[in-house]
Amino acid sequence: MTQMHKRGLVAAVICSDPFRTLGKTQSRVFGVPDLPLVMIPHPLGGLSIEQVEGRALAAIPQVLELIRAHLQ
Amino acid sequence: MSGLAQLLKADGASLEADDDFEAINRLYLERGWGDGLPIVPPTEKRVGQMLAYCDRPWSEPIAKIPPCWGEATPLRLAANAVMAGCRPEYFPLLMLAIEAMCEERFNLYGIQATTHLCAPLAIVNGPVAQELGINSGHNAFGPGTHANATIGRAIRLALVNIGGAIPQKGDMATFGSPAKYSYLVAENEAASPWEPLHVERGFPAEASTVTVVGAECPHNVNDHESLTATGILTTFAGTMLNAGTNDTCYEAQPVAVFGPEHAKTVAHGGYTKADARRFLQEHAQLPLGKFSHENIERRLRVKLKERYATAGLDALVPMVQRAEDIIIVVIGGAGKHSAFIPTFGATQAVTRALTRRDGGFAHSVEEFRRG
Repeated sequence: MTQMHKRGLVAAVICSDPFRTLGKTQSRVFGVPDLPLVMIPHPLGGLSIEQVEGRALAAIPQVLELIRAHLQ
Repeated sequence: MSGLAQLLKADGASLEADDDFEAINRLYLERGWGDGLPIVPPTEKRVGQMLAYCDRPWSEPIAKIPPCWGEATPLRLAANAVMAGCRPEYFPLLMLAIEAMCEERFNLYGIQATTHLCAPLAIVNGPVAQELGINSGHNAFGPGTHANATIGRAIRLALVNIGGAIPQKGDMATFGSPAKYSYLVAENEAASPWEPLHVERGFPAEASTVTVVGAECPHNVNDHESLTATGILTTFAGTMLNAGTNDTCYEAQPVAVFGPEHAKTVAHGGYTKADARRFLQEHAQLPLGKFSHENIERRLRVKLKERYATAGLDALVPMVQRAEDIIIVVIGGAGKHSAFIPTFGATQAVTRALTRRDGGFAHSVEEFRRG
């Protein structure tokens, strides 16, 4: 992900709320502090298919926004 | 000016504080440097005494510790060793343990950052264990022995202060475990009927080693009744059964800790370590139907699909994939107890030996210090 971001591709890490700090810290550690985090609700484990789709629906607008910003 | 004084002049390498134990401890707690317990202030003098037992350049990293990939220089490790209360002669073992757990196959990143409760367990073998007074007998996993308590604590402090495994920031353990304060023991080689762990792993008996395992806490195996090897091993295998373990889906290397009395009974029955491993692997198997419906359908039938994609509920699921992966050690004092230590799963044990500058095995810490 770090390499993709450094090469100018649209890249992001999908992250649930309790892991936001870890995600931000790791992006700083790897030298890409502006690497976007696509935030979805916790938890990730033990979800029904409908709940997984719900997580995807939360992520999609954020991903589209990243692509739009990249194209501008 | 000494070499150490020069290093401490670098930006951020040291700080000025009043010579006041309480004030320094308040400062460390405020900055999140530590494990919550009081620390010994790492003064220049104390850090210098620790570094007398270091054979490397003090400011060159011997490893990088995840998740923040902080540089583990001897200088930083020495400061953490002082904070933990280590004696200077313990320092070579701290460096060895950190190097071992930073080998890629140990997967320290996963172990540090996971929601699982694992912690690196360090098992010391060879003459250095006795030289440093590392407890391998009664209460070896518990309190009361300076070397076990402080070297184990120094490992944790390094993982937090250098590696950034700060709870809820770099260490996402759902609830962690008491093993995250300190988790270091020696094998009770004198009480073992079998060859010690380091010899099994290819080192000469006179070498001193540290083996690190990404481990849960010990789980007790109480058997006061069995008089035979198969009796003890049957109870042990029964204790290993666990529908909630990480190990099922990995080529895991859990630890079977035999108390000396159980070990004697098993060995007296003609069982080598390899025989005992085979017995445990063959008997520690749960029928698929003992797992939850969701775990069967979403985990076992998917992750281990070659075996369980269409298997019936009576198909057996081994707690350990391969017999040879069970790590057997003898630890403890009197009593009819053993212990089973499951792991993080996605980790491989690593063993490193204490060596002199010429590459030969150091037979003691003093020999190591002299180079």
